[in-house]
Amino acid sequence: MGSSQVNYRSGLWIDWCPGCGNYGIVAAVYQAFAELKLRPNEVVVVSGIGCSGKTPHFINANGVHTLHGRAIPFATGIKLANPHLKVVVHVGDGDLLGIGSAHFVALGRRNLDVKVIMHDNGVYGLTKGQASPTLKLGVKTKALPNANIQDAINPIALAIASGYTFVARSYAMNTQHLKEVLKKALEHKGAAFIDVLQPCVTFNDVYTVEYYNKRVYVLEEGWDPVVREGTEDEVRNKMLNALIKSMEWEDRIPIGVFYINPFKSTLEERLDQRFEGAYLKKPPAKQSISYEGKPLLSRDMFKEVFSRFFVEVEK
Amino acid sequence: MLEEISFIVGGPQGSGIETSAVVLTYAFARAGYGVLVDREYFSNIKGRHSYALFRVSSKRVPKALKYLTNMLVALDAETVFTHYKSLKDGGILVYDVGISLKKFDAIPSIEDELRSRLAKEFKDLGLDGTVESLANYLRSRKNVFVVGLDYSKVIEEFSKEASLKPHQASMYLSSIPTAAVTTLTGLRESALSFAYMRRFNDPKVVEENIKLSKVVANRVRRVYDFPPLLKNSEIGFNEVLVVSGNDVVAMGKVVGGLRYQAYYPITPAADESFTLETYSRFKVGDEYATVVVLQTEDEIAAITSAIGAALAGVRAATATSGPGFSLMVEGLGWAGMNEVPVVITYYQRGGPSTGLPTRGSQTDLLFTLFASHGEFPRIVIASGDHEEAFKDSIEIMNLTEKYQVPGIHLLDKFLANSLMTLTPPELSELRVDRGVVTEGGDNYLRFDMSKGPVSPRAFLGSNVIMYYTGDEHNEVGHISEDPINRINMYTKRMVKLELMSKEIPEDFLVRLYGDLDADVLLIGWGYVKGVALEVMDELSRGGDISCAYLHLRGFSPFPSRFVAEVLKAFEGKNVVALEHSYLAQLSKVIAMNTGFMIRKEIVKFTGRPMLVDEVLQALIKIVEGVSNREVLSLGE
Ligand SMILES: Cc1ncc(C[n+]2csc(CCOP(=O)(O)OP(=O)(O)O)c2C)c(N)n1
Ligand code: SF4
Ligand SMILES: [Mg+2]
Repeated sequence: MGSSQVNYRSGLWIDWCPGCGNYGIVAAVYQAFAELKLRPNEVVVVSGIGCSGKTPHFINANGVHTLHGRAIPFATGIKLANPHLKVVVHVGDGDLLGIGSAHFVALGRRNLDVKVIMHDNGVYGLTKGQASPTLKLGVKTKALPNANIQDAINPIALAIASGYTFVARSYAMNTQHLKEVLKKALEHKGAAFIDVLQPCVTFNDVYTVEYYNKRVYVLEEGWDPVVREGTEDEVRNKMLNALIKSMEWEDRIPIGVFYINPFKSTLEERLDQRFEGAYLKKPPAKQSISYEGKPLLSRDMFKEVFSRFFVEVEK
Repeated sequence: MLEEISFIVGGPQGSGIETSAVVLTYAFARAGYGVLVDREYFSNIKGRHSYALFRVSSKRVPKALKYLTNMLVALDAETVFTHYKSLKDGGILVYDVGISLKKFDAIPSIEDELRSRLAKEFKDLGLDGTVESLANYLRSRKNVFVVGLDYSKVIEEFSKEASLKPHQASMYLSSIPTAAVTTLTGLRESALSFAYMRRFNDPKVVEENIKLSKVVANRVRRVYDFPPLLKNSEIGFNEVLVVSGNDVVAMGKVVGGLRYQAYYPITPAADESFTLETYSRFKVGDEYATVVVLQTEDEIAAITSAIGAALAGVRAATATSGPGFSLMVEGLGWAGMNEVPVVITYYQRGGPSTGLPTRGSQTDLLFTLFASHGEFPRIVIASGDHEEAFKDSIEIMNLTEKYQVPGIHLLDKFLANSLMTLTPPELSELRVDRGVVTEGGDNYLRFDMSKGPVSPRAFLGSNVIMYYTGDEHNEVGHISEDPINRINMYTKRMVKLELMSKEIPEDFLVRLYGDLDADVLLIGWGYVKGVALEVMDELSRGGDISCAYLHLRGFSPFPSRFVAEVLKAFEGKNVVALEHSYLAQLSKVIAMNTGFMIRKEIVKFTGRPMLVDEVLQALIKIVEGVSNREVLSLGE
């Protein structure tokens, strides 16, 4: 499939509420894919359930719209079966940090080359406005009968603690910024997480466009999130800086890349090492498993592979 | 000398009983015997009672186990107390005279319930509760030949012979029962050395164990001066596989082209994934095949990542047990909705909840048939023995890919953990059928309805793009709530039920053993197959009652026509369901599919395997009209 002038819009009518921050996210995705000249058939966009979960249907690339909270493990299987695919995950904040948090943490530990884009709107959009795990304690958004009595997770800190090697935040209404962060994430080797502040115009009357526009600032001058030598000391310092930075909220909300560590091995590399180079050379999806409708293993090969189970009878 | 024997080797978990079982199996296999071993253990790592129940034959490979044993070989007192009743009149007890004075009520690892039963039994027999009193009772009243060895003296003598320090020598304690068994059965030393070598791969360990076994043999012969128990094998094997159910399934998956397995650890499934991982890289021609085996964060990730791998074109599976499958149910539904061939290898254990975590059951038939909301076709097959398990683990990958449906391969703890001598499988009969696969092409539609219920399948990463969603979708794979599309797409999925029923051979799904005009029909599935066939044999040897056995291997699709025909032939006769459950779920499934009601049943839900002697007795009661339902309880 050619990639030079690919239109990444699927052409489907987009059924998000008018003014929803998700439009900015998908626009940034179109641009990032186009600028990186990704081939639609080599990209798989995986999502969970929620307003955010519909994203793949609006993109002209492979789309796998999965279960609530489970986008990451679906993506994990796809990527491990065929590591040559670019796998991008779109999830809601409830999806990722509520029902799916075990998977979020596990992906960090594995550092599998999968990109996770969290649509952070502070609410459960598709179920009409319940509090999500990024809504702060005491906040009462429109649909809530009472103020929130559970506190928020710090997704950036959780990502760093879990082992993600690319951690960033962006803002849905700043498409240009988001596109750039996305491109960096897509070019990074390893598990990447982007927390995208996404106004939900229908249910979140607290974290609004006005709210964010007043507070959001771009991490620039003097901020260096990249691990450059890979020493233990440096990694620790960069992590700590990022963790401290991630606590900034209320008056000023930083967006940009918080942490990049290009030194940690990916799960694909670890497997390739286990298989002595056989995995990346011919990953599972590229192996043929039969010959003329029969299994590849002949009786002799079977005996060789499973020799430990064979017992020759002593006469 | 006997054609076949049954015996128990028991001791505390973690003390080497597991090793003894494996070593003895290799040794008997090496000498050409047919062996079947059930391994019983608590959900515990060290200290609770564990044992292996063996049946060894010089004539054939046993299909099931018996309760009454010729030998009880005890590493500790608890073994003697727990199993003394299973010793046959005239059997042999091997125990440690060093613990003669140990009393049953001073053993903390014995569960309260057994302790109070023993208290009553010993009171009734007038015993004082020591091992010695029990041994004396067995000798005088049950004709049991008691071989009392002083295990600490054995170790002392061995430490001298082998020039080992006492603490080193004592690490060989659990080889005493092994040596006692080989001595009493007359197994040759070369078979034992082979077995130790296979198990430990260390000549030094072999040498020490042989020295120890000589010490044991001398001492045993001092008291037991008779010919060995077991006749030489006449089976005529050249080579056999010594395998558990877990092993054969892993082998089947490798042979059948599985390339991705995700699992979350659970008994009795996890060993399969370990075996698979051990053999996850192997040479094919001048390349290496690799199987990705991933330990996931939970069973939800196990099934969903396997689905992801399947979408990318890989044969993918997960292996689990009841609690894990409970978590997988939503993922199963997604696979059903998206027509994904993913395999769940399901080892049943005792439920509900964590139930009996290390014991067997067949209580999840209904669950697997109906699990997940909504309606969708699925393959559900169950294996009755090691050979079926090997073949089914391949065939379910063929069927799920051919029909693009999820599949569940039902097994159980009995099969998973039973070791046996298996004739190496004939690989040339096996096939790999990946169904209708395409690279795509112009206007590719993943859920194309114009080609019948099974749309050509392209993989993620081929030349085309495709969409999947758990929502109802159109041919492209985009969400659609349109009522007409709903009817068409829903129907496309569901008519696979008829297609599968029509195409999958009846003789794969069900088989009748014995004759249609037999007096009694046993019906079962899964691991009751062996016991049913043995009971059938015993009855035919007895001559009074002729018995047939209907073995079900496929439940979805269900071979309704064949089953109905057999049941019709047996109308008015005794038809008895055999199942490791309370409900005899099989009867419900048969009623649902054929309208025939099976009103007689032999069930067992202790988590221990059905034994030939107890099933035989129960069946005779039912045939004599004494009862319609027998609940079995033998085995510890
Ligand atoms: C297992 C399960 N439980 C509940 C739901 C219902 N549900 C649908 S969307 C959703 C929450 C969506 O919130 P979020 O993940 O933040 O996504 P958003 O809609 O805000 O993008 C829930 C709970 C479901 N689909 N599956
Ligand atoms: S409910 Fe909120 S998140 Fe969902 S589409 Fe509407 S604005 Fe967007
Ligand atoms: Mg949300």
